[in-house]
Amino acid sequence: MKVDKRLLFLLPALFLYIAFTMFPVMKGISLSLTEYAGVGEATFVGMDNYKEIFQDQRYLQVLKNTLVYGITVVIFQNGLGLIFAAILNSIPAVRDAIRTALLVPSMLSLVIAGYVWQFLYAPMGGGLNELLVSLGLGSWQRVWLGDSSIALFSVAAVHVWMFVGYSTAIFLAGYSGISSEVKDAARVDGVSPIKSFFYIDIPLLAPAITVNITLATIGTLKSFEFPFIMTAGGPDYATMTLGLRIFQLIFSEFKYGSAAALSVVMILLVALITVAQNSYLRSREDKI
Amino acid sequence: MDGITIKSKVESVDSSSNSKLASIFCMRNIKQGSMIFLMSAVTLILLSPVIYMVFMSFRSRREIMMEPLALPTKFHFSNYLNVISDMNYLGTVMNTVGVTVVTIILVSILSSLAAYPLARLRSKVSSLVYVFFLLGMVIPPFAALTPLYLFIRDLGLLDTYAALVIVYTVGHLPLGVFFYTSFMKAIPKELEEAATLDGASPLKIYWYVIFPMLKPITGTLAIFITLGVWNDVVNPLLFITTNEKLTIMPAVLRFLGTYSVDPTKLFPAAVLASLPLLVVFFALSKQIVNGMTAGAVK
Repeated sequence: MKVDKRLLFLLPALFLYIAFTMFPVMKGISLSLTEYAGVGEATFVGMDNYKEIFQDQRYLQVLKNTLVYGITVVIFQNGLGLIFAAILNSIPAVRDAIRTALLVPSMLSLVIAGYVWQFLYAPMGGGLNELLVSLGLGSWQRVWLGDSSIALFSVAAVHVWMFVGYSTAIFLAGYSGISSEVKDAARVDGVSPIKSFFYIDIPLLAPAITVNITLATIGTLKSFEFPFIMTAGGPDYATMTLGLRIFQLIFSEFKYGSAAALSVVMILLVALITVAQNSYLRSREDKI
Repeated sequence: MDGITIKSKVESVDSSSNSKLASIFCMRNIKQGSMIFLMSAVTLILLSPVIYMVFMSFRSRREIMMEPLALPTKFHFSNYLNVISDMNYLGTVMNTVGVTVVTIILVSILSSLAAYPLARLRSKVSSLVYVFFLLGMVIPPFAALTPLYLFIRDLGLLDTYAALVIVYTVGHLPLGVFFYTSFMKAIPKELEEAATLDGASPLKIYWYVIFPMLKPITGTLAIFITLGVWNDVVNPLLFITTNEKLTIMPAVLRFLGTYSVDPTKLFPAAVLASLPLLVVFFALSKQIVNGMTAGAVK
């Protein structure tokens, strides 16, 4: 049997991918069964790291925070993005200019956006509270990042702010694939714009919805930059997310075994959610 | 097709009275105008933090303390000069550009080479390898950080650019393989078959026939890699210990720290760190938007 020579082309990429991605992932799984501080030998501790994760109230809060954060961002980023795209699609004169302008925040990095918003949210002299006073809405002032009941949502709002333009751009790309005849026919038949949005636009935008929800989910579940810079996970763990906790375990507590265990939990969580989401969203697409 | 719709609309309008036509157009214009106004206002609100960032970067500490929301009265470029020298701005930008360029070259060659058999061969092996690569896209970059660190340490690559290039290259391979495989499937096979008949080797065909055709998708991939490298803080913080070798975002992070940040440092640093990507974005906005949204439409 003659093997196709082109299969050899796979080898360089495959070798690097196995050596620097899959091998470390496998090592991570075995490391998660140990206690290791970076030097000396790792001591085998069995499932202790996992037991700690699932018995410690704080870790349950971290899981809850991560999910609440993810769900909030996915809903608002894509909901607003869809509305913006629907409106922009009806005003071709300014559509491209506004689409570009809305993308500007997503060109800043998470670190920069985090710093700027930390300053905007500052309780004294911060841009947001000052603005509220000058608008005569002084009673709306909050300690945006210091109040544990709203801090997680304040941070999530920055995520939405940063990436809503990206969702809008993807939905607009979806709109460009909808033929104008369908919408014209609906209009001639007297279908109201609201109805045509729900019964024509949304079903036909199914692929764009899939892409947007998947990207936003993966993006939020693994991000740690905003809580890291704006709140350091506080107040009282209110904004501690999975990504940030892993970051802390590695960079400030040097508990590599626990970090590896939490990473394994994170891989499983992300994989589970994205697979479930994708199979649901794809089956929705196929029905149409 | 569009022409036909318009024509039929014109005919149907013709049959009704002219005044009705005028009022329809008028209504439409008012509606369009108000929508344009609404979206412009929304855009302005969303951009206001960016505008605020730029204005604040020119104000002195005293001005910011006295009136947090006022416009700059005069432009304090001294803020910028301090940050540029204290942060080693030019050096970190050059580091970032260097790492980005090398990563783009390596990812585009390695993953397009791998994608070639994956797109052309219909065998169990190739589809298995393809799925194996895609698996890498759902693994969060955090997942293997500790073992990766130990591995890089054992290779003696700590505190080298090579460590960053390797990590970024490998991290983007799954995306590259995914992009190139789907792109190549759409390229007709005739050219390759002709070249094979002429006796060209598979490697020659890949390099002279296939690779030049991959320019558009390579552009898209380059955008994703650039954003990934510029925005990453974790890997440089982990692998680089010498400040002079840091890339831009970790340099900003180290420069500013995380508690009680001085606004006369924060805002100029934020503007400077964002500037290179924003310039590229405005220069290539059309290609970037097309690249980022590719795949959203079937």
